[in-house]
Amino acid sequence: MAAIEAHELCRTYKTHTGTFRRRTKEVEAVRGVSFTIEPGELFGLLGPNGAGKTTTIKMLITLLIPTAGSARVLGLDVVKDAREVRKRIGYVFGGERGVYERLSGYDNLRYFAELYGVPPKLQKPRIEELLELVGLKGREHERAEGYSRGMKQRLHVARGLLHDPEVLFLDEPTIGLDPVGARELRSTIASLTAAGKTILLTTHYMFEADALCDRIAVISKGSIVAEGTPADLKRGVGQGSVLEVEVYGVDEETIEQVRRLGGVLAVSVEEREQAQVLVVQTQAEVELTSAILGHLNGGQVGRISQREPTLEDAYVALVTEE
Amino acid sequence: MIVAARIFVVGGLTSFRALFYWLTPWIYVPTMLVAPIFQILLFAYIGRSAGLESDEFYLIGNALQYAAIPCLFAMAQMVGGERYQNTLSAILVSPAPRIPLFFGRSLPVLLNGAFVAAFSLLVGALVLGVHLPASSLAPLGLVVLIAAFSCTGLGLVNAAASLRIRENAVLSNVIFGFLLIFTGANVPLDDLPSWISTAAQGMPFTHAIKAARELAAGASLGDVRGLLGAELLVGAIYGVAGYSLLRWFEVLSRRYATLERS
Ligand SMILES: Nc1ncnc2c1ncn2[C@@H]1O[C@H](COP(=O)(O)OP(=O)(O)O)[C@@H](O)[C@H]1O
Ligand SMILES: [Mg+2]
Repeated sequence: MAAIEAHELCRTYKTHTGTFRRRTKEVEAVRGVSFTIEPGELFGLLGPNGAGKTTTIKMLITLLIPTAGSARVLGLDVVKDAREVRKRIGYVFGGERGVYERLSGYDNLRYFAELYGVPPKLQKPRIEELLELVGLKGREHERAEGYSRGMKQRLHVARGLLHDPEVLFLDEPTIGLDPVGARELRSTIASLTAAGKTILLTTHYMFEADALCDRIAVISKGSIVAEGTPADLKRGVGQGSVLEVEVYGVDEETIEQVRRLGGVLAVSVEEREQAQVLVVQTQAEVELTSAILGHLNGGQVGRISQREPTLEDAYVALVTEE
Repeated sequence: MIVAARIFVVGGLTSFRALFYWLTPWIYVPTMLVAPIFQILLFAYIGRSAGLESDEFYLIGNALQYAAIPCLFAMAQMVGGERYQNTLSAILVSPAPRIPLFFGRSLPVLLNGAFVAAFSLLVGALVLGVHLPASSLAPLGLVVLIAAFSCTGLGLVNAAASLRIRENAVLSNVIFGFLLIFTGANVPLDDLPSWISTAAQGMPFTHAIKAARELAAGASLGDVRGLLGAELLVGAIYGVAGYSLLRWFEVLSRRYATLERS
């Protein structure tokens, strides 16, 4: 039996604007997402902001009912058997909010231990063990308001593990952490898979998915646009070529013109110190340097370089495709 | 069973600490202990100068009715505050049984409301020089608890509303003002328009205030049995209604994503 199965999941949101003349707008946040995650796997859902990662997770953890499609966690239907699903999953969301600021880390955990029905006798040793695991030992009796972002994030992780769930959902757990904090958290996550947990992790960092995940699904605008092991995804790269052009101020229109050139796969702009860098991915056999420069005639152009594509480029190409 | 009982008691108290962190003595004393005395004095002095009811009448009416402040505002905070701290989704995703989860939160609110009413009653009596017979004190204590119970029931409805409307303090204030009139706290029900005195039968405090006045006038607990039963019934109906609304909003939130964006 698969640990998590999503079948053609869809979710639309209706939003209302205006106080008197109410207008309804529909957002299709998730449009037909399917995947299967085997027990013990660490599966990554990788995509930019607004791609539909959180919405997908919320359907799987019973907080949202799918508009269409279905999903099972440990064989249980997420709509019909919601209560059973809730007992057997842990949910960790990113960001520093969502803890009781004025309670100590310890009391935060104790409260949720009660909600998850951890027997009173087991609460103390379990909490001690988790404090050790996430590295909060020694600070647990301080109020959470004094914790750093990373500590709050690790408190979230400990909370998600209180009832020793078989399946864990981590929604952008390293968001907003400094590099050291993020690295520590990633090693905690890696140790959880070593302990046999099934994990669904979302992230918008390519390298994070690459470093942690057994398999990755890339999600963009509510649909999965690629799926496979990190090695599979890397194999998809490599045929093309990347041209980087330093520019000083480039407008949307110019980018759009470059994007429409024959042989161009993807265009993105990176901010670097004083300059911006226009990153153009092209097919291997075409030579577009002069055509691109032609479109940039208005602005100033700096250094130009050509390089092999990386996994990051593959990801950018996938999520910027129209 | 034990899980439910622990969520009710331990969970309820912990969430009270978690959500009332801002309630320092600097806020608590003026709003919960001083303000009700002002309210009692205001109405008692108006009553005196207009030659209306006795000091005891206003003392009892306002001391009990003031429990609406802690019961309404605190109950809304006990639920709406979760939304504010972004902890609501963590709670709703837990398998915790909802009856002890929500009702557990009303236990500290009820106790605090009873404390505020009892304090106002005793201090107000001292300030106004109203003599409450010693034998009536224990029965009055029971009435205070029952009054706080029924208003906490209404508070649960208010708490459910706090999940849907942001300006819940406005609603709490409106209900509070409404209860000043619709409970007979300050005007005998017989002197109010008949539709108001009819509506008052369905409000928290109405029967408790009447019972407390009779007790202070020398009645025994047995004499006011019926009134206390009615007060309990009113509270229970609001409590069940409030709980049902909370559950309904929980269901709606899964369907329409109405509770939280993050
Ligand atoms: N409660 C909501 N109401 C309306 N729109 C929403 C709501 N939650 C998310 N959205 C929209 O749905 C899309 C997907 O959001 P989300 O699942 O949060 O993406 P991600 O987690 O990948 O950043 C976005 O366009 C977002 O604005
Ligand atoms: Mg998200």
